[in-house]
Amino acid sequence: MAFLAVEGVRKSFGGVAAVNGVSFALEAGRIYGLIGPNGSGKTTLFNCITGLERLDAGRVTFKGERIDRLRPYRIANRGIGRTFQVIRVFPELTALENLLVVTRGPRVDAERRGRELLELVKLERLAGEYAGNLSYGQQKLVEFVRVLMTDPALILLDEPAAGVNRTLLNDLLAAVARLRDQGRTILLVEHDMKVVMGLCEMVFVLDHGEKIAEGPPGLIQADERVIEAYFGR
Amino acid sequence: MSARRPMVLVLIAVGLAALAAYPTVGTGYGVRAMLQLFMWIALAGSWNLVSGLTGYVSFGHVAFFGIGSYATAILITRAAWPWLPASLAGGVAAAVLALVIGYPCLRLKGPYFAIAMLGLNEVLRVLVSYFEGLTGGGLGLSLPTLQATLPIYYVMGATAAAVTLLTYLILTSRFGLRLMTIREDEIAAEALGIDTFRHKLSALLLSAVGPGIVGGLAARDQGYIEPISVFPLATTITMIVMVLFGGKGTVWGPVLGAAVLFVFQEAVWARFIYLHQLLFGAIIIAVVLLMPRGVLGLLQLKYRLPRTI
Repeated sequence: MAFLAVEGVRKSFGGVAAVNGVSFALEAGRIYGLIGPNGSGKTTLFNCITGLERLDAGRVTFKGERIDRLRPYRIANRGIGRTFQVIRVFPELTALENLLVVTRGPRVDAERRGRELLELVKLERLAGEYAGNLSYGQQKLVEFVRVLMTDPALILLDEPAAGVNRTLLNDLLAAVARLRDQGRTILLVEHDMKVVMGLCEMVFVLDHGEKIAEGPPGLIQADERVIEAYFGR
Repeated sequence: MSARRPMVLVLIAVGLAALAAYPTVGTGYGVRAMLQLFMWIALAGSWNLVSGLTGYVSFGHVAFFGIGSYATAILITRAAWPWLPASLAGGVAAAVLALVIGYPCLRLKGPYFAIAMLGLNEVLRVLVSYFEGLTGGGLGLSLPTLQATLPIYYVMGATAAAVTLLTYLILTSRFGLRLMTIREDEIAAEALGIDTFRHKLSALLLSAVGPGIVGGLAARDQGYIEPISVFPLATTITMIVMVLFGGKGTVWGPVLGAAVLFVFQEAVWARFIYLHQLLFGAIIIAVVLLMPRGVLGLLQLKYRLPRTI
């Protein structure tokens, strides 16, 4: 049984088929990449998995349970966390508060864990700063560690590298690899091919809402349909 | 902050003691004015709980005041309840209304919710006029004569204090943080596993109780209510302006806003019956344009103060 199974998912906006019958399956404990040109349906697919969009057709099952009819918060509580392509921190909450909102149990424990995670991305000094005052890259990192506060088994990252400087990026990628080592599954959308090729064990390629290729990064790079989708014929 | 805390508590205690002792030295007008101020603090503070925190603007918040007024007046006139339990029942009635109306309306997004709440208030006013047997219809309800200004002063004051304390407790809790995530970014909140609907409903419920009780107390105090006197849109607008002026999403913003605008209204209204509405309108425009975050919101950002100011 697949950890996450996406089967025949379709989603249209007006006359535009953003996702047009996409299927794939993820196994637990691996890092997957989802690539494709702009407008190929990557983010819509993320939204379908996390319940922000209702499917027109198809199904999504997570650990054997069908989740495509659930409200987003229920999907999140079943262990699927995500970040967004356009940053969605809570600007008028401090960096630490951004992490605390999802926690239960004793507050001191939650704060300690929050500070640890901020330290992981070298933001511990800015714990008390309003998230809206942080730089773009810093907000991106807050969003990244915020999703970890929920302790998700599957993490969907929508362009985690965009706008993050090189030094931080390496830390971030190391952190993602560590999450995998802890047994979590990661699916990431990324434009930066170096990131995808270096990190992912398996890559799915979308074009015009359809999956055109699937395989290890080395093979994908050489796939003619992929090259065509990206660079034209 | 922890060093300043005892001092703040002492200040609050002194303030409360002074307000408690005030009726022994104040004039009749002074006591009545203070009672009104308490009412506005409770109303503005309650509006802040739902709209200041979740960002869901309630344009019909006076509906909870009105339903509390009618529930109390009906219990007093038809069932001969004493005014205190009757007013508390007004709070319960408002809470029930919040659940019934919140259930469908809180599924609407921001602006649609605001309009739906506005509609709710109009519908209630018409309903109250229609069910004459129970409510006296357009003629209103007269309550038996009773001189109870002093006890009402204290209960009104306690309600205002309770709303403010509740705001403090919520703002310093993770429940409060979750309410604010709805204002900040509802989609991100959902994606993090926050049941935004349940949180909005809880906030609306908590924000309805105060106005319900206060509505009951006001009905008892005035001795007569009619549909247009307890469901006026102007009351909702005044609550909103008070909170926006003082600083939404803070503990003391509604208190400050209520105090400043109430004193202003009393001072101007007494002299210029018509002009005061014009001035009030001008204040609304000035606040929205010049300091949309309100006095305390501005200070909070500028000096990095906690929301508990």
